Amino acid sequence: MSAGAVLALAERDLRAVVRSRSQLYSSILTPLLILLFLGTGVSHGLQPANLPAGDFSAYLVAGVVVMTSVFSSTFSSASFYRDRDTGMLRALLVTPQPARAILLGKSLAGVLVGTLQALVVLAVASPLTDLSWQYGYLRGVLLALAVVLLLNLMLAGLAQSLASRIETMQGFHLLMNLALFPLLFFSGAFFPIADLPIWLEVLAYANPLTYAVDALHLAVYARDTREFIGLWVDLPVLTGLAAFAALAGLARLPRVTWSGS
Amino acid sequence: MAATPVLRAREIVHRYRDRVALDGFTLEVPPGTIFGLLGPNGSGKSTFLSLVAAQEQPQAGDLNCWGEPPRRAFRRRIGVVFQEGSLDPLMTPAELLQLFARLYGLPRALARSRARALLERVGLAERAGDRIATLSGGMRRRLELARALLHDPELLVLDEPTTGIDAEEREAIWELLAAARERGATVLFATNDLVEADRVCDRAAFIRAGRVVAVGTPEELKRGLRAETVAVTWECPREEELAQVESWDSVGEVAREEDTVLISTDDARTLIPRLFELAGRRISAVSIHPTTLADAYFAHVGRRAHAEARA
Repeated sequence: MSAGAVLALAERDLRAVVRSRSQLYSSILTPLLILLFLGTGVSHGLQPANLPAGDFSAYLVAGVVVMTSVFSSTFSSASFYRDRDTGMLRALLVTPQPARAILLGKSLAGVLVGTLQALVVLAVASPLTDLSWQYGYLRGVLLALAVVLLLNLMLAGLAQSLASRIETMQGFHLLMNLALFPLLFFSGAFFPIADLPIWLEVLAYANPLTYAVDALHLAVYARDTREFIGLWVDLPVLTGLAAFAALAGLARLPRVTWSGS
Repeated sequence: MAATPVLRAREIVHRYRDRVALDGFTLEVPPGTIFGLLGPNGSGKSTFLSLVAAQEQPQAGDLNCWGEPPRRAFRRRIGVVFQEGSLDPLMTPAELLQLFARLYGLPRALARSRARALLERVGLAERAGDRIATLSGGMRRRLELARALLHDPELLVLDEPTTGIDAEEREAIWELLAAARERGATVLFATNDLVEADRVCDRAAFIRAGRVVAVGTPEELKRGLRAETVAVTWECPREEELAQVESWDSVGEVAREEDTVLISTDDARTLIPRLFELAGRRISAVSIHPTTLADAYFAHVGRRAHAEARA
């Protein structure tokens, strides 16, 4: 497997994302609109008092960054189906490159797209909200970058693993929506998990997205570490899950028949 | 001494669940030839091509490319065109060729120059920067062929390369393939088009139910058949009339296809007056056709098997 081949494959998927403007814009704009309307609405209409550092819009930033990555990983895996449906996957599989190089190229593109989109959302949201940056701006950004990278590695692996098992793109999107969007709701993205009923709190701690949201809250929103899980738990859990999901995503090699899908 | 075959298959058996795709498939493909695999749909042509391209391993029997079983490393020496389209509509022809050049391990500069030269050769230089989605069917086929030629392969494996494109585009594709053969490449292709195969093949194999039933040059395959086929538009021919025609000297097979009776013969000029004596005004048209590869094919594979598979 050559690194040049993997990079060439990733470059192709990145170019496809840039050319699919509607996909690019919607996966960035949707989380920002949620931040704008939900954040402003709840801040002014409900005046939430249980937030660790006040302001709901600022609280929501970590959640919309994670949401951006979830959208992005779902969209990125569509390229797997496009390649299969256009026959391109067949052509890639008769090159001397191993099938795993194709998967690696797709993963790399998915991680890069998801990370860049999440960082764009963070960059746009940052001046619009009252973020604390408790570790300082530079360290906060680096921490957010690390968290977003791990999160996208995990999501890309999960998406790829599912895409290689599910026949249709519709089925894939259905499952991703069914699995990931409920996870977003009890990850601490929209409300703190500390005051939830015990059954939901247990589910929240079993939710991989919780650790990404918590680490991002600590990086950009929190004024101190009280009422958060803590980076010493978040980062090892995210690293472990990202490694596991990435390997799972590469484990199942794509198979296509000579003359059909 | 005969040249060592590029490809040698011995008694290959390959199944997909309960369906037997290849059943004792035996074939040798000499180097530098345009070699056609002719058979009805489902006869095993595509399965054999997928084994040659190392997409699958034969379940039984021996398959050797250049004296060794096919493996992934051989793909550098093989160029493939699939029966169905296999292009990304969001890419441009130039991007597509550069991507595949890198996947075949060509250095960037060489990839760029090779892509440019090939686009020129297949007549797509002016469309190099357009999205593939905007190209016509024939242009896409030429682009797929350019991709298959990109790494200068020794063996081209083509599955119905001219299906669904017009006569001019077909001609352009066969010119490119003939040029590849001139450079020493071997072209192995599967087709249903017997007229085209007769025109372009150096050698051909007839395949039926996963087995090679005949192999040779088109002339060798036609040998033993009558020289001509007379097609007679004959109103209500009776069985005893057809049996009588079949008993005449110089007549071979007599077959009926709706209102047309096909009679293979070595002497059409003598046959036609006798037909008119027999059937008179019930014969409304007669045409004489020299024996083709199609006649040889039907003699070996059978019209019914071909028609059933096409249906």
